[in-house]
Amino acid sequence: MAKVLIPTPLRQYAGRNDSVEATGATVGEVLDSLTGQYSELRHHLYSDEGKLRSFVNVYVNDEDIRYLEKDSTPVTDDDTVSIVPSIAGGHRGY
Amino acid sequence: MIRIEQDAWRKMVAHAQVTYPNECCGAMLGTIDGDAKTVKVSIELDNAFEGVQQERYELRPRDLMNADRAARQQGMDLIGIFHSHPDCDAYFSATDLKNSFPWYSFVVISVKNGKFDHANSFLPNAEQTTANEEEMEHPAVSPAA
Repeated sequence: MAKVLIPTPLRQYAGRNDSVEATGATVGEVLDSLTGQYSELRHHLYSDEGKLRSFVNVYVNDEDIRYLEKDSTPVTDDDTVSIVPSIAGGHRGY
Repeated sequence: MIRIEQDAWRKMVAHAQVTYPNECCGAMLGTIDGDAKTVKVSIELDNAFEGVQQERYELRPRDLMNADRAARQQGMDLIGIFHSHPDCDAYFSATDLKNSFPWYSFVVISVKNGKFDHANSFLPNAEQTTANEEEMEHPAVSPAA
């Protein structure tokens, strides 16, 4: 099974685990397996339309899936899938 | 409550001052005990914003991923983000809030005329509709810093 690294803010929805083993041959399947184990995570990762939220970045090892095959990116049992939020800001807008 | 240890704080302030007049950014690694966070290590990260960096910052997701990995390797957690506001106060702007992530502490460092002025920490709520100011303890900053 692939290992999914859970960022600190989402661990409260993943049984307080910092990583979760998940099955699947693609990123989409692995994330389905993850949210199948921890259903609360689904809302934080996916929109109501079932798409990965725009501020959620997913890496397979060191590769951003946006530059691979997105949800169809292949995943093996030796792979590590990382969930990384997009963070930005700026002083204007106050 | 967030407490920032000496070495981590020194690096955060230095990064904010060196990158002035641009906004700087970085990650804070440390430990969690209930609602209390202790920052033991800070990591200076590149501001990846492609526009006017005096007004905006952007973290490269790959850099954040690597900071998280570094935390895990050192037996710590990535517990927050710091960034600077050049020549303005350390408030949490609407832009900061909209592009934040709940649970992380967001430390904002005000740098005026190239020197540290003050800092505050904020906690966005789950819906990212507001951020409460978080009690923060950090070492004093020497005027010569």
